[in-house]
Amino acid sequence: MKTVIRLAGILILLWAAGLADDAQENQADHAVVSFSNPAKPGMVEVDISQGSITVRGYEGKDVIIDARWRERVLTREEKEDEEQAVAALAEAEEQVDQQELARKKAQAEKAKGMKKLEVESMGLSVEEEENVIQVSAEEGKRAVDLTIQVPYSASLRLSCSDDERGITVEGVSGEIEVESSDGPIVLINVSGPVVADSSDGEIKAVFGKVTPGKPMSFSAMDGDIDITLPADVKASLKMKTDEGQIFTDFDIRLTPSQQKKEEDERKEGGGYRVAFEKATLGLINGGGVEIQLTTSEGNIYVRKAM
Amino acid sequence: MRCEELKEKAADYLAGELDEESLTQFRGHLADCPQCREEMEGLSMIWTKLGVLPKEQPSPALRSRFYDMLESYKRGIQKEPESRGFGRTVSQWLAGLIPRKPAFQMGLALVLVAAGLGGGLLLGLRPRSAARSEVAGLKGEVDEMRRIVAISLLRQASPSERLMGVSWSARIDRPGEEIIAALFETLNGDPNVNVRLAAADALYLFHDHPRVKKGLIDSLARQTSPLVQLSVINLLVEIRERRAVEALETLMRDKRLNPKVKKRAELGLVQLS
Repeated sequence: MKTVIRLAGILILLWAAGLADDAQENQADHAVVSFSNPAKPGMVEVDISQGSITVRGYEGKDVIIDARWRERVLTREEKEDEEQAVAALAEAEEQVDQQELARKKAQAEKAKGMKKLEVESMGLSVEEEENVIQVSAEEGKRAVDLTIQVPYSASLRLSCSDDERGITVEGVSGEIEVESSDGPIVLINVSGPVVADSSDGEIKAVFGKVTPGKPMSFSAMDGDIDITLPADVKASLKMKTDEGQIFTDFDIRLTPSQQKKEEDERKEGGGYRVAFEKATLGLINGGGVEIQLTTSEGNIYVRKAM
Repeated sequence: MRCEELKEKAADYLAGELDEESLTQFRGHLADCPQCREEMEGLSMIWTKLGVLPKEQPSPALRSRFYDMLESYKRGIQKEPESRGFGRTVSQWLAGLIPRKPAFQMGLALVLVAAGLGGGLLLGLRPRSAARSEVAGLKGEVDEMRRIVAISLLRQASPSERLMGVSWSARIDRPGEEIIAALFETLNGDPNVNVRLAAADALYLFHDHPRVKKGLIDSLARQTSPLVQLSVINLLVEIRERRAVEALETLMRDKRLNPKVKKRAELGLVQLS
């Protein structure tokens, strides 16, 4: 099984390298995809490893995808990998052919009854099934900058694992689940429940309004979390930061944390007091929708919209 | 058949009580007149919906309340004959609201019947739950309700709903095995970091439960997100779980471990020993 995966990996590597040679600089792809049931709010899922994602709500029913491929030079490590791959491939060519055939068969079986929407070149794949549109980029050597226009009411599930440009969403009212490993997450004029996680970047979210009764959560390892809420929002905040601080211009009523336990014991020998950062619970306008804000190193900003 | 006649017979048609001849005429008119057809479609839809409404037996309390109400209403009428003038105005005003066409009258009546059934259903439920509030086992019942809601929410595709599931779980006073297991399943397997973080916090609230401490220790090895690792370490240190020492040492041997998590784990070891 391991060999299958490795050999498949080699194939992709070679294929991507070939593409890199042929491809024009900043080649662009364009696709328009419609939901199978446009009357119901659809979901758009995007998962790319390198690149950036920008999603904008617009007055239309289709999802419009524009992809711009970045030029990228192979690093020395990658070149070595490639040379090794060529050597390995020469050895195992016959075996690969058979296994590749089996893999393709298995894939065809998996996609039975679904339509595959092929987007030209470069390995961007777009599929629609039961009102869910999935966009993914083949793992290759080039990063892609995606700009996607979606109907206002669409829900989003966005994931970008390795890029400093991050994810931007503007003017979408559906639920948003977003995950970014390196880059920042910027959400502007959103209203649906948001669940966002960024490992290294910061998170910024500006809410036009807040859907009542739908819990939200933001988490960041290193970056700040900066959210702007409508002045009349009713919210119950649970804020946690290990090393950062919390700022707000709301009149927040702090309530004692459920988890608070006094730490008075002194350690033997060490002589210091054990102190833990615990959740700070705060109510805005009497409390309401639950919003959890967690960051290890960053600060938390809770702003009142102008 | 004219449109007026059709409307008069609409009720009989829906109830299946038209004779052969009228039925043919009725259908003939429907075929010719798009307006009546549209109206009948609307009506038969309401009719079908009424058919699927569950039959609700009014509770004895509702029955006695109804008779009480009727009784006091009768008394009120006898006591205050002068209010009749007002009553008449009201009935005239009400009459103005009711459409004159028989078919519409029937439609309105059907809607009112549906509303009445719904209302009765609600009224029937209320005294039952009110009585429950006096029973000592209330806590258990509320917990049971929260358990059902929490478990079903934890299985939703939407991360916001799973967060809600965690928050319902946290409100349970005495969680059973099922809730504890579901929270651990979420902590160890939920695809979303935020939901896992919330599950860790909820489990902390139940750290007196025998399975929780052990579960948190085991979970440390399964977490990949640095933020969740930090959160679990914080909780273990906070509940002074000495058995966690070994798990922390194992974690620190992982070469890919985030340096901040490593630092926290080192500090945790000092705090626990």
